[in-house]
Amino acid sequence: MRPSNVTLTAPGPPDNPPVQERPRRTHHTPPRPLRVRAARSLPSILMVGPALAAVVAFILIPVVVAGRLSLTDWDGFSDSYKSLGLDNYVQLFHDPGVANAAYVTLVIAVVGTLACNVLGLGLAVMLNGKGRAKAVLRGLFFYPHVLGAVIIGFLWSAILSSEGAVNTLLTAAHRSKIPFLSDPQWALAAVVFVVVWSTFGVNVVLYLAGLQTIPESLLEAARIDGASRWQTFRQVVLPMLAPSVTINVVLVLVQLLRVYDLVLAMTDGGPAGHTQTYAYLVLSESFLNGKIGYASAQSIVLMIVITVLAVVIVALRQRSEKAVEQ
Amino acid sequence: MVSGSRRHLVKLGAIAVSAALLTGCSTGTDSAGGDRNIRMLVNITPVLTKQFYKDLVAGYVAGHPGVKVTIEAPTGRGIEDTLKQQLAAGSPPDVLAGGQNTALAAQMAPLPDAQWVKDAPFAEASKLDGKVWMAGTGVQLQSLVFYNKAAFAKAGVTGTPKTFDEFTAALRKLKGAGYTPMQTGGEWTTGAQALMMANPNVMNTEPQWYAKRNKGSVTFAGSNYAKYLDVYQSWIKDGLVPKDANGIKYQDMINNFTAGKSATMVMGNWLTASLAGAKPGFDTGVFPVPTFDGSTPPQAANPAMPYSVLKSSRHADAAIDLVKYLVSDKKAITKALSAEGNFRTGYSYKTTPLTNDIAKLLDKAGGKTVAIGPGLGDNSSPAGFPDEFNTQVQSMYLGTTADQVARTMDKWWAANAPK
Repeated sequence: MRPSNVTLTAPGPPDNPPVQERPRRTHHTPPRPLRVRAARSLPSILMVGPALAAVVAFILIPVVVAGRLSLTDWDGFSDSYKSLGLDNYVQLFHDPGVANAAYVTLVIAVVGTLACNVLGLGLAVMLNGKGRAKAVLRGLFFYPHVLGAVIIGFLWSAILSSEGAVNTLLTAAHRSKIPFLSDPQWALAAVVFVVVWSTFGVNVVLYLAGLQTIPESLLEAARIDGASRWQTFRQVVLPMLAPSVTINVVLVLVQLLRVYDLVLAMTDGGPAGHTQTYAYLVLSESFLNGKIGYASAQSIVLMIVITVLAVVIVALRQRSEKAVEQ
Repeated sequence: MVSGSRRHLVKLGAIAVSAALLTGCSTGTDSAGGDRNIRMLVNITPVLTKQFYKDLVAGYVAGHPGVKVTIEAPTGRGIEDTLKQQLAAGSPPDVLAGGQNTALAAQMAPLPDAQWVKDAPFAEASKLDGKVWMAGTGVQLQSLVFYNKAAFAKAGVTGTPKTFDEFTAALRKLKGAGYTPMQTGGEWTTGAQALMMANPNVMNTEPQWYAKRNKGSVTFAGSNYAKYLDVYQSWIKDGLVPKDANGIKYQDMINNFTAGKSATMVMGNWLTASLAGAKPGFDTGVFPVPTFDGSTPPQAANPAMPYSVLKSSRHADAAIDLVKYLVSDKKAITKALSAEGNFRTGYSYKTTPLTNDIAKLLDKAGGKTVAIGPGLGDNSSPAGFPDEFNTQVQSMYLGTTADQVARTMDKWWAANAPK
């Protein structure tokens, strides 16, 4: 990808001949013997093998098992179970708890992804470059990510609960308490805030890494051309960061669609289930209520949604990157 | 039904996933030399620490050379989901210390038809298909109203309320005197307190209410649950409970009560340990939850520190022997009872005046107890009932009516009752 004001596809002048394309194999070229091809591929297979084995063992097999279990009423430990066909999936789409959890998850994922990326990109641009203060600030912004989700949940719950630090200060100042964790809207907003607080540090680091890849000559050229800081950011920096944006959006979205532990520690899904995320519901149904079959169906649906979203986002970003290149 | 190799394949996969994701390393194998290692999964609380259990079993270990007891703390939210994870991973403990549900009973070995089992509290009540699979150490009472005596005096409340009408009137006076009349909170406490107040009123006439609800012969909407929920709704409306209850943590509830901010708090007898530790600057009294007709209610109660033996145990005899020690050895029982302030006929320990008052309430009720929370044995609720009830009661603070809660609970129970 290139900034839109730099053209590389126009015919080159005589002293800049077009790049020679690699000769393509035609049907006249005799194919190499299978033995030779296999021998050549062996090192690649050996190198990919362990990763492939891990993917099969820890992703493919569990998904297949979960898919099978989703058609049963298995409770997680009984010796037998009954096949239910698609009953679990039918029930899932009529379960008000699932609808509520899907809504909560969607809010956290969409708002959180936007906030993490806007905040991450903004701070990365501000902190790009050298200087001790910038290095310290980078560490500070990344620090929440180092803490475990459960610790973060308990920490913020102690700060935001009705008798927590903030409300104690408000009471001391003769102000009304703010129902951070007792009002559904406030509680959801509090969860989103804490999710963003604990996540965006990674985005800052990833965007900083992306910023390091932008050639200084491009920025210099923009400055010489008289571009303002905003124009430079919009016309040069942002297009160059397209791959970073894609990675950041997909990573955060997938992470936020699976938020569980932070909610457990911070609100335990309350008040009245209004911060219960989809992943929280899956865990509750499986190990607390012993409905492994039903929870597996919920997991499969979540997996499909995440896969579709990730593919769509990556495809859209690729299209947009290609448009920029052209 | 699915059986054979396919079932094993699925279980194998599930075990692999669960083992990889959900459990840590276990210590199930015997130590060198053929010594027997009994793994005991225990319920950890601020009072019942891992060290407490180590001390508890020390007497047994000392008297049984070659037997080692490993105390394991839950790695999940509690012992129940930890046990499910361990079962799925194929690495369950030998002994389970804590409440279980009917679904898990199938994983337990029946306890022998012995006198020590018959004498254990709630052993009979936990019977499933005629077999005893759990033995309690003592009785844990869960429908007690703790109150600040100074607050009652200041508000002009004389005597302790016996009916809900009297209780509501007392709460109004306490509000007028500047107190939070009743200390409620969020987390698990919202629904738990509601059950603590409702169950003695529901089950004094229908002791097997859960079993009857499973059969569909009783309903929430047509029971004293609905009547109690009406009272609760009026308390929320009149500000007799904190309007921000859903955001209050359990520890903050205790802190508010011991700081003298709130006048009453419904809780189980384990609260005495916290109150003794906090040393509030007032005398604390206790009375049983009120009834609709003013009669003396039974106490909603649970077996305190119950034990079961897993049928998969490789040392079932030794495990049962350990359980026998824990529920019949005088020293072990007394140690367990005193830790939480629990009770058992024929056993005494150095108590606080408050614990003595609670013992008198149990005596006054003629020792009659009813189920609380998930219930026991055949009189058990479907898995997830306390959580669902908690959610519904919390929703009353957000505008859901008592009538809606009762109807929702009936709908939930119908969908989740054992078929």
